[in-house]
Amino acid sequence: MAQFTIPPREATQEMRYQMGYALADLAFEFPQIVALDGDLRTSSGLHIFEHFHPDKLLKAGIAEQNMISMAAGLSQEGFIPFPCTFDAFCRRFMDQLYVSVAYSHANVKVLGAYPGLYTGKAGATHQSDKELGLLLRIPNLRVIEPGCHLEMRQALRVAVETPGPFYFRIVRCEVAENELAAGYQFRLGRGVTVLDNGCDVGLVSTSLMVKTAKLAAAKLERKGIRVRLDHHPSLKPFDRDLLYDLAARTPAIVTLENHCTSGGLFSLVAEALAAKGAPVRVGAIGTDPDDFIHTGHVNDLMARYRMTSDDVVRKVEEMLAKP
Amino acid sequence: MTRTINPFDVATWWRPFRSDTRRFQEVFPHHAEHASLLRSSETLAYLIRSFTVYEMTCAALGHPGGSLSESDFLAVLFNHILRFDAKHPQWPQRDAFYLSKCHACPALYAALALFGYFPLRDLERYGAWDSHLESHPDSTRTPGIEISGGSLGQIPGVAVGRALGIRRLGPDHADRMVYVLLGDGECNEGSVWEAFMAAGHYRLDNLVFIIDYNKVMAKGFVHADMSLEPLADKLAAFNLEPRVLRNGHDVAELVDLGNHLAVQRHGRPAAVVLDTIKGKQVACCQYNPNWHTSAPRDAATAQAWLRELWERDGRRLGIPEEFAAALGQAIRIVPPQHANPDRITEKQA
Repeated sequence: MAQFTIPPREATQEMRYQMGYALADLAFEFPQIVALDGDLRTSSGLHIFEHFHPDKLLKAGIAEQNMISMAAGLSQEGFIPFPCTFDAFCRRFMDQLYVSVAYSHANVKVLGAYPGLYTGKAGATHQSDKELGLLLRIPNLRVIEPGCHLEMRQALRVAVETPGPFYFRIVRCEVAENELAAGYQFRLGRGVTVLDNGCDVGLVSTSLMVKTAKLAAAKLERKGIRVRLDHHPSLKPFDRDLLYDLAARTPAIVTLENHCTSGGLFSLVAEALAAKGAPVRVGAIGTDPDDFIHTGHVNDLMARYRMTSDDVVRKVEEMLAKP
Repeated sequence: MTRTINPFDVATWWRPFRSDTRRFQEVFPHHAEHASLLRSSETLAYLIRSFTVYEMTCAALGHPGGSLSESDFLAVLFNHILRFDAKHPQWPQRDAFYLSKCHACPALYAALALFGYFPLRDLERYGAWDSHLESHPDSTRTPGIEISGGSLGQIPGVAVGRALGIRRLGPDHADRMVYVLLGDGECNEGSVWEAFMAAGHYRLDNLVFIIDYNKVMAKGFVHADMSLEPLADKLAAFNLEPRVLRNGHDVAELVDLGNHLAVQRHGRPAAVVLDTIKGKQVACCQYNPNWHTSAPRDAATAQAWLRELWERDGRRLGIPEEFAAALGQAIRIVPPQHANPDRITEKQA
């Protein structure tokens, strides 16, 4: 039963497992931390947390609505609950998140596992590429989508140290320890410029798509197109200042997200630039908001929705070729 | 000769039964103070109903049916059962009371004001722009509200989490209780039964569900639209300990219930079914879905309701007749603060 083993910390690069370790570490430091599981712990990585803190993983059963309500109640006695289920199932508890957690400003940190296309072939019901449309419009809620382990660990700590509701999208696949500069520090509501070799085009990434953006930037550099890449792990609050700084220097921006191209990062960028009246073209890399994402290997999904670094290069070239 | 009377100065004929609301003490029928507890609680229920009518009319907003059906329970809860400190709403040793059927908050607001969480005068601005008294309660604004709500079926789960959390805090918190008042129609929500399942699973005997079984939903009758029976059997099947109060308006029965809930715990959450009447004590509202959502349209209607409440309860409880009249006279339907140049009108619910 391979899936029930605890993957060694050094041997696994899947963010879900590193999240399990990170949360377990934090719980040694912050005894108020508890986690709630909706019968998905070996998938979400919470089984690692349970390994270290067997008395602190509360089972809610397959009852996502009640799990979020219970988390709100636990927070009222000083606990810092981390309810965790598949990101797709936030569709089931959106109202609990809106009313009992966000409206009440409850100190609840929701972990959405398996966000976007990386669900291990789980198909249309489990792929969650539309949910930011609502999550980013819930007052009081902070929404974080880290791109590497370092950033995920830092963001979890910030969430523990910052009162109020958070929502994390914790991806299933393998990511690097650090995609960002040495000494990087996650800051709530702030993006970061990952590389800046000139501003022929601006890339704006969130989540693990920072890796795709870096690969695309290298390919573009080889074609003589200079790239500035900004990474936004904090989707809500969103760093408009960094975006405006980029928009003032570049004629074209391409957004990259593990989500559809409506309601998520592209919408944040487009709304902000429209509000500013910034004269900059914006292209989007992401899934199709009109599609259910059917079952398939993630390579095939990436090809179908044109989300590889080659597709980013093609998109940039198209945009720069336009008059 | 009529006396002039300030209806907001209730201290002249009513005060909380307990001198220290942080303490719970059983008061049994053979105790000397039992009669005064009953009288104090009945008077409180009358005041809750009266101020509920007052604030709903001022706001042109409200849910009279569910507010009037829960008034007697709220009266006994705050007067006798619940441990709290209105001057320190966040007192860490308090019992937690959740109103899960949040639309019935006018009665809760009246109770909180009568116990001093905020001034009674605030009730005039229930539902007004800039008021802390929202149409459905906001815990970040109103003292004494444990959590925001308004979407049914969520708070039973919150109460489960709260009770679990209290139990995890250990022996120093072992006598703290969590009470949650649900609507009967609310029990149609699946998440309510998720909460019941979890409460039974975790054997949370510091948790009490109370169902205000007033038989009427927003637009119809429970038995006709979506019935709950056999309700007590269902609760028992979810590993809750059901108790049925044949008359959920009988203050003596409610006091007796309160005497037992906190001290007779059997490793299972209690689930109390209060047999009540929607709209209790205002004849036109009783058992009538049309008064689920609605407030008296004008001061004259409200004054008639206040008069009716006085005839039924106030008179026998020795409340001066002038109180009901003065409270009716104090009604001021709060206008909006802004004109609408587009003249878009919306009728009162």
